Amino acid sequence: MNHMARQLIQFKSLIWALVTRHLAMRYRGSLLGFLWSFLNPLCLMLVYSLVFRYYARMPGISNYTVFLFTGLLPWLWISSALSEATSSIASSGHLITKSMFPAHILPLVPVITNFINYLLSLPLLFIFMWIDEIPFHSTLLFLPVLLAVQFLTLQGLGLLLGSLNVYFRDIQHILGNLLTFLFFLCPILYTPANVPDQFRFSIDLNPLAQFTISYHALILDGVFPSLYSIAVMLGFMALSLIAGYMVFDRHSESFAELL
Amino acid sequence: MTGNRTVKVASAVSTASSVDYSIDMVAVSKKFKRATIKKAGYTTIKSAILGLFIGGEKKQIAYTQAINNFTARIPKGASLGIIGKNGSGKSTLLKLITGIYRANSGTITVNGRISALIELGAGFHPDFTGRENLYLGGIMHGLKREEIDSRFNEIVQFAELENVIDDPVRTYSSGMYMRLGFSLAIHTDPDILIIDEVLAVGDAGFVNKCKEKIEELRKAGKTLLLVSHDLGAVERWCDEVIWLHNGTEMDRGNPRRVIDKYRQWIEKKEERDLISEEDLGLKEDIALEEKQISARWGSREIEITSTRMKDKDGNEHALFHTGDPVTIEIDYKVNEVVAEIAFGIGINRADGLVVHGTNTDIERIIIPPLDKMGTASYQIESIDLVAGSYLLDVAVHRRDGYPYDYHQGVLKFLVRSEFAQAGVFAPQHSWSFSVSSKGSELGSESARRQAQS
Repeated sequence: MNHMARQLIQFKSLIWALVTRHLAMRYRGSLLGFLWSFLNPLCLMLVYSLVFRYYARMPGISNYTVFLFTGLLPWLWISSALSEATSSIASSGHLITKSMFPAHILPLVPVITNFINYLLSLPLLFIFMWIDEIPFHSTLLFLPVLLAVQFLTLQGLGLLLGSLNVYFRDIQHILGNLLTFLFFLCPILYTPANVPDQFRFSIDLNPLAQFTISYHALILDGVFPSLYSIAVMLGFMALSLIAGYMVFDRHSESFAELL
Repeated sequence: MTGNRTVKVASAVSTASSVDYSIDMVAVSKKFKRATIKKAGYTTIKSAILGLFIGGEKKQIAYTQAINNFTARIPKGASLGIIGKNGSGKSTLLKLITGIYRANSGTITVNGRISALIELGAGFHPDFTGRENLYLGGIMHGLKREEIDSRFNEIVQFAELENVIDDPVRTYSSGMYMRLGFSLAIHTDPDILIIDEVLAVGDAGFVNKCKEKIEELRKAGKTLLLVSHDLGAVERWCDEVIWLHNGTEMDRGNPRRVIDKYRQWIEKKEERDLISEEDLGLKEDIALEEKQISARWGSREIEITSTRMKDKDGNEHALFHTGDPVTIEIDYKVNEVVAEIAFGIGINRADGLVVHGTNTDIERIIIPPLDKMGTASYQIESIDLVAGSYLLDVAVHRRDGYPYDYHQGVLKFLVRSEFAQAGVFAPQHSWSFSVSSKGSELGSESARRQAQS
């Protein structure tokens, strides 16, 4: 693991080159280009706002649009990063079987590119906050810590899923469905208060839901996440990283034979 | 891959002397699980979970031994060629050395930086431009950005890709791919340059340039490892050759000697395959055309018991070279004493064209009284046929043509030639040229070349 961390530093220019390429490729040939980074979440937000603000009104949430946006943006980072990371190793057979390519940086690239996308869409959130006259709390200064925890969690999960997907191609299909499922189980469209007591476990035991709750706390409510949330997130991060690196370490040698 | 690397130390052998070697392989073995070779054999979660509960189908895991107990030391500055037929383990060996695969047992010590061209455009991203790929590739080869900056123009110039360097490489031809890959590989200061078959797609001009560059690298004391089916290139560029067969070393040493031995072995093998194919054809006799090709009729008063084709040393063969002496032997058995006997021979091309047909009657050969059993021989001083596959007919018949035993397509044989001549007939010949103009006082200079050995 130490060895791999050192490699990450050694290959930082390679990672950076892949990330910039990845970002450039994403919108290559499209007329609006980079604007899509803003337009995509904006469109999603418009639809969800329309439905849950005007059609099926979600009770007890003021400034629904901003509330929704706060939870939706980190979720888009999670879901895009994980689905791209899962297929990243399996789809790079040409690199792994024919050159001495460090496979463990492959799942990291989508985590970084989608993180950058998230950062780019943050100003949009701040503009909506300003329009809705929501105060900018000092707890915002701790947002980078939360982002770092989410980043490392995604790195671990990406490595785990990317490695397993070489063996079980089913994972990339399962994950697509699982992510839809998880999206509705995270309090992005609703607050934990909207959840009936007998289903509260789906929030309390869901580490990704704790991330959503923490974003709401830091950005909208101006308070720190609960100790419980922090413990769950840190525990999940450690677990993901350990599982990711262990599985990768044990199986990466045979990637070249399987791809 | 920078610096020194030791792969899988079973018993560490890094003595001082091994530093003189760029690659040191001791008792290296690599086997593949059959399931991992077969692409369709992906495990699914379903089968893995079922396996957990039911205990699996208890299927026997089959292994393919790709490299078997291979030991070789490659001194610094040597250039080594690896030859062998497809599937002999050449590429696996290179992938073991470069660290793409890991050996199951044995030690591989690599001293120095490897630059490997394992396959055409290896490591290139098709959607990236040539420029972007050069940077990515350079970084993967262990160069810093500034180092790539400084030699960028040189790399592009060598590859002759100045005009297309900003196009995506998916628009490149295979030759352009190869030039880009090769140019990058030799401009990354490798200590060891590994080339797997990739030069085959280059045009003559570029290949010559590569040759010069390789020569330059060799003079600079770099190690070259070349895998190729182009035996000529291997012979020209390498000072040692390893012949690999089924993952083990068949021979190693002087290129000319090893390559000759390999060539002979290939020919022997082709001949064996041909003979077994023939056996199959006679036994099964399924295909209609086979039936037409090989047929037998006659009243068998005299019967042909066997037919052979032999070389000048009396060894039986089904493969000859243009110009070789050939003897056809026909064993016969007399079932009933008859008069007016004639032996006949026919040679046909595989497509049915009659190449040669004769019999003892036409040639007014007097046949001595036959014993109960015996052999008729037909000697050809030199088989002047162009390369191809041919069929032999043999017959014993009455002088008026009434067949005793007529055996069509009894043998199939191959003729090989150094030259790809057209037609059927390949006469012994030579060329000469004379200068008849007043300009030259040197008289007539004739260039003679014996076309057949």
